[in-house]
Amino acid sequence: MTDSTRFHSEHWTRRRFLGTGGCAALTAYGMLHPGLRTALAASPLGAPNALDATAPGGIDLFIERQSIAIGGRRPEAITINGGVPGPLIRMQEGREALIRVHNRLDESTSIHWHGILLPFTMDGVPGVSFEGIGPGTTFTYRYQVRQNGTYWYHSHSGLQEQLGHYGQLIIDPADDDPVGYDIEHSIVLSDWTDMDPHVVMDKLKTMEGYFNYQRPTLANLETQAEASGESIADVIKKRLSWQRMRMDPTDIADVTGATYKFLMNGKTSEENWTAIAKPGQRVRLRIANASALTYYDFRVEGLPMTVVQADGQNIEPVETDELRIAVAETYDVIVTLPDDRPRTIFAEAMDRSGFARGTIAPQSGLQAAIPERRRRPMLTMADMGMMHAVMGNESAETGSTNHGDHKATAGMEDAGSEHTKRAGSAGPLPTSGLPERIKHGPDTHGPGAIVMGKTRYRQLSDPGSGLGDDGRRVLTYSQLRCLETPPDRRAPTRQFDLHLTGNMHKYIWGFDGKKWSESEMIRFQYGERLRINMINDTMMNHPIHLHGMWMDLYAGDNYAKNPRKHTVNVQPAELLTVDITADAPGQWAFHCHVLYHMKMGMFRTVAVVRSLDEEATHAGS
Amino acid sequence: MQVHKQILLVVLMYAFTSWSALAQHEQHQPTDSTEDSQTRAEPTAERQSDNEPPLPTGMSLDDVLDYAAGPPPSHYPDPVADDELRFFTLIEQLEYRLPDGGGAGELGWEAQGWVGFDYNRFVWKSEGEVAFDGDSQGESSTDLLYSRLVTPFWSIQAGAQYANEWESGDYEDRWSGVLALQGLAPGMIEMDSSLYISEDADVTAAVEAEYNLRITQRLVLQPRAELGFAFQDIPDRALGAGLTDANLDLRLRYEIEREFAPYVGVRYGLLAGETASIAESAGVDTESVSLIFGVRLAF
Repeated sequence: MTDSTRFHSEHWTRRRFLGTGGCAALTAYGMLHPGLRTALAASPLGAPNALDATAPGGIDLFIERQSIAIGGRRPEAITINGGVPGPLIRMQEGREALIRVHNRLDESTSIHWHGILLPFTMDGVPGVSFEGIGPGTTFTYRYQVRQNGTYWYHSHSGLQEQLGHYGQLIIDPADDDPVGYDIEHSIVLSDWTDMDPHVVMDKLKTMEGYFNYQRPTLANLETQAEASGESIADVIKKRLSWQRMRMDPTDIADVTGATYKFLMNGKTSEENWTAIAKPGQRVRLRIANASALTYYDFRVEGLPMTVVQADGQNIEPVETDELRIAVAETYDVIVTLPDDRPRTIFAEAMDRSGFARGTIAPQSGLQAAIPERRRRPMLTMADMGMMHAVMGNESAETGSTNHGDHKATAGMEDAGSEHTKRAGSAGPLPTSGLPERIKHGPDTHGPGAIVMGKTRYRQLSDPGSGLGDDGRRVLTYSQLRCLETPPDRRAPTRQFDLHLTGNMHKYIWGFDGKKWSESEMIRFQYGERLRINMINDTMMNHPIHLHGMWMDLYAGDNYAKNPRKHTVNVQPAELLTVDITADAPGQWAFHCHVLYHMKMGMFRTVAVVRSLDEEATHAGS
Repeated sequence: MQVHKQILLVVLMYAFTSWSALAQHEQHQPTDSTEDSQTRAEPTAERQSDNEPPLPTGMSLDDVLDYAAGPPPSHYPDPVADDELRFFTLIEQLEYRLPDGGGAGELGWEAQGWVGFDYNRFVWKSEGEVAFDGDSQGESSTDLLYSRLVTPFWSIQAGAQYANEWESGDYEDRWSGVLALQGLAPGMIEMDSSLYISEDADVTAAVEAEYNLRITQRLVLQPRAELGFAFQDIPDRALGAGLTDANLDLRLRYEIEREFAPYVGVRYGLLAGETASIAESAGVDTESVSLIFGVRLAF
């Protein structure tokens, strides 16, 4: 994104066009959207109180516990400059950001700049990048801003995120913004509970299904039969087979609307946050999912959305009706009100136990009908990786036969696919035609992992459970194509498998059956291109986030067009591949962004080192 | 007045922190390394292009690579506390048992809890009953166990049991060694099987199985079976070899909260085999039906 050409004066008058790589795409985009140029005059109307962290003098953030109004109550939250979410922070690409964070809590805190490329000591992860910000002290973040787009920031200490310690971060591009829009609004989705998050953690740890009030019961037998079109006998049979496997098909979200309030910019559905836009205006919604745990299915009821950015990276515009935003992802979409009627911005929790709602309208005080909530989805045998179920969905079995091996890392040693193992003198790895599905090996990863079916398969075109069957178009990863090919698209020369594992019954989470405290650091060699095949052995979605470096998501066979992501959602039983340029020396966090999964061990320290021949280091020592 | 003073103080402190942070920054600037010496207000995109690694101020690439190869400084906290000590108590039964055929009611309980970590725990289990009628009469047993999660669903446990019974001033107790297997069986059946070797070298076993059938999200029907076995005749305890006794329970609970669920139920108890014969010859009933009223608690 960053280029080396000199620019001057204020950013909105800059008129350099993008480098050669993006020219064709941009031209095409320009033809699609004649309003491109007018966008340059756009101002952040949606966020008058934004703080500019690259302005002279920098900014100050104050982290403080205080009572704030959430859903008609005044619970105590961890606020940033008095609010939840914290203030919208803006930066200017190419400048230096300066942020002084003043900790007014009686505990340590931190701010992690999610998706931002920076020196590892500025990354804000206590225990990995620094010591943390002690109570009553101030930490100064200073770094060059080397990218642009929509991002967010949050605490990386304990469970503070659940208490409101997050906000949005927007970086204005140094060059012309290829996204044409007249006005923008920032949307921070999150989840709130009046329960102390440590109590939430305890309940999850001690009583399975504590927050799930949508379980299969005798009373909803008939409803399920009606919904699925099966006979009662078949439903019972299906339920018994789940029970035989000791699994709950309604285990979609660990924490639900039973305790959560679902928030849009800190407001509940009743409080109806409103985005003001005139009919005909191209409105850019910058959406960040700052939830601790909740996945949202986001739509503007009745309006198509054009997705223009994912995880801060411009993509080729895709029109859709709905998108599922995993925890920690961001998406930018363009919508236009065709008339002066208000429209509902609807973000349903993935498990349908509640929703966040706002309105887009020409003036405040208006609202449209709130759509019906859809039926809660149920997991299927395919989500468990049961072969026959998967076979039913796909026919491209031959995709994997080139790689006779059962592992995604064809050609590597067998056994536990330890991340420390290296492919000998492997040449460049294939960049297209990767196996469509693999079989799980004999390693069941020990007591910390429940491994059910054996088949893991690519689900790039699968919108996910509960979506795609009601006539709405739903965004999938297969539709994400970067607008401009990033500089480093070498084929990777090394790869390893990473199993996403968990024991839902005991609420133990990890990778390859091990928690962080049982693990060694994962090591990348500085400068290398490497591939990680993520293999989800669990029945839950996991948003996997790598700090400090991009993950190029394998989204299909056009390697140059694969999107860069900071957070990738890995669906149940999914095989998902990312390629990484290890260009950021230091130690970094790499983890599931479901707060409670991360906290229970689904976390690794990644060390980007000079050479992989040195001794492995225990992460916890 | 007091309030005004406080506000003034806060404002002053704020001004000071901002000033000192700024001052610190300004002092810092001249000493910045060459990697990072731009004046903030000026655009600096050209200084750091995509192929320059992001380096902390004052550290060279070699410094960072050396640092990355080692463990983090020892004073750093753990990034995630994934191995915390926890505890949990579940009083599965705390109930009044009213014999169907009349007679004295009993207070019964069955509870267990644990303290520990994911894989290794201390587990205690306690059960017993006390008669309500006239003389103090009752029995109880408490198992104290080390428990290790050996597969995703099963724990192996080992430890000791203290059991006692008393009747009109007559008190008897015994210690036993315990080996147990506890977990969730296919079909979502919670199982707990224990093998006991008493201090007199008598060997007995107990097997418990229960299932939670959800009628609604909060109304749960729980069938439960508890079987006792003896591997030899134990005259002192009026037990004959083989299956000794069984309790078949059915409880219907309403989860007002997951942690608080009142219930009603019924228990069918019987003595079996040689044990039943011993009881008959002593004039004791070998079968009983009780109505149950209780509450299930967790904390």
